[in-house]
Amino acid sequence: MEPSYDSAKVAEIHRHLHSHLPSEPALRVKALESLLVEKGLVDPAALDAWIEAYTEEIGPKRGAMVVARAWTDPDFKARLLADAGAAVDEMGFAGQASGHLQAVENTDAVHNLVVCTLCSCYPFAILGMAPPWYKANEYRARAVRDPRGVLAEFGVALEPEIAVRVWDSTAELRYMVVPQRPAGTEGFSVEALAALVTRNAMIGTDRDLAAGGA
Amino acid sequence: MDGVFDLGGKQGFGPVDRAHEDEPYHSEADARAYALSVAARGERAYPIDWFRHTRENMVPTDYLTRPYFDQWLQTTLAMAIDAGDISLDEVISGKADALSRTPDPMRADDVRKALKTPVNFEREATSAPAFAVGDTVRTDHQGKPGHSRLPAYARGATGTVHAHRGAHLLPDAGAQGAHVPEHLYTVGFAARDLFPEVETNDTIYLDLWESYFVRR
Repeated sequence: MEPSYDSAKVAEIHRHLHSHLPSEPALRVKALESLLVEKGLVDPAALDAWIEAYTEEIGPKRGAMVVARAWTDPDFKARLLADAGAAVDEMGFAGQASGHLQAVENTDAVHNLVVCTLCSCYPFAILGMAPPWYKANEYRARAVRDPRGVLAEFGVALEPEIAVRVWDSTAELRYMVVPQRPAGTEGFSVEALAALVTRNAMIGTDRDLAAGGA
Repeated sequence: MDGVFDLGGKQGFGPVDRAHEDEPYHSEADARAYALSVAARGERAYPIDWFRHTRENMVPTDYLTRPYFDQWLQTTLAMAIDAGDISLDEVISGKADALSRTPDPMRADDVRKALKTPVNFEREATSAPAFAVGDTVRTDHQGKPGHSRLPAYARGATGTVHAHRGAHLLPDAGAQGAHVPEHLYTVGFAARDLFPEVETNDTIYLDLWESYFVRR
């Protein structure tokens, strides 16, 4: 049925749930799965389909293939930077949260970092499930105010002259970072290049990719 | 609304914990909570902005401490109770009322289709854009009640329009069930203008709707 769109009403519902649902996450999810299946609100086969999709099919390997192609195909790179949603669709990767995808490029002078301070928006179709730290309070609070401190914790030491650009995903645009191609990879195949691209590099918490892999 | 979810720039948080960063789900419960949340929402009339706003209305300690997909699941449940798709009594008792079984949940085929189908939030504009790339803009200095996507750290701030993204559905209206297209801009703010301790030439970019700016 239709939502009430009443903030006070859902806040009250949350207070009831806080008081009545099992606190321990595994017990809570087990109780709710039984109830929602019994109620007919979920089909167990659909649950398996959602879980399997992000375990087996959709993950950061897609983003890595996009980056490797951008490194080796200047026309594709131009299309990616102009309209990343269309460019990933070309590769068969269109999906959840890819519709308004933006690709931002690292250079010698620029480092990009992606965050969602208000919830945890993430380009699922291209990078898969977000890592726990991306969804954590610490990252969401600090990435905009102390990006260099956060980067240092990830082992990225930036010279002060390198400008940091932080992209806070406050709308339905989603961001992926195109890291720099490592030196010493001339002649590598697209597949070999893709193997060098880390998920964190595409969020921006990794910068200098290694020609020999991480 | 002013809530604990608006975390950007808040201080007192410690190091970023990278545990489980290379697993798609950090536990079986995490995977089940994710799947239950997305499957139960399915094709129902629960708009994304209402989902985000319902999550924002969680008990603040729950928001700050419960696992991420556990919060999605609780939020989905709160939306389902609000819409009358399940009752609070059923949730508390753990027993579904057999007479009110929902007839048509999302099926595995629907999932496979959803996974290949990006949602388009852009709509035809109903007015000319008020700002152009390169313009200086200033954001509203007040937080509004209800759902809005102007983070507190960027209120009353001056920035420069980096890109015009066309007209996108306004989340403030979406969380009230209305579909209102409004011009969306990516705006760059000098980090040192937002946070007094910053000494480097860094830029924070936000995607902000036209009504978030003060008209000159």
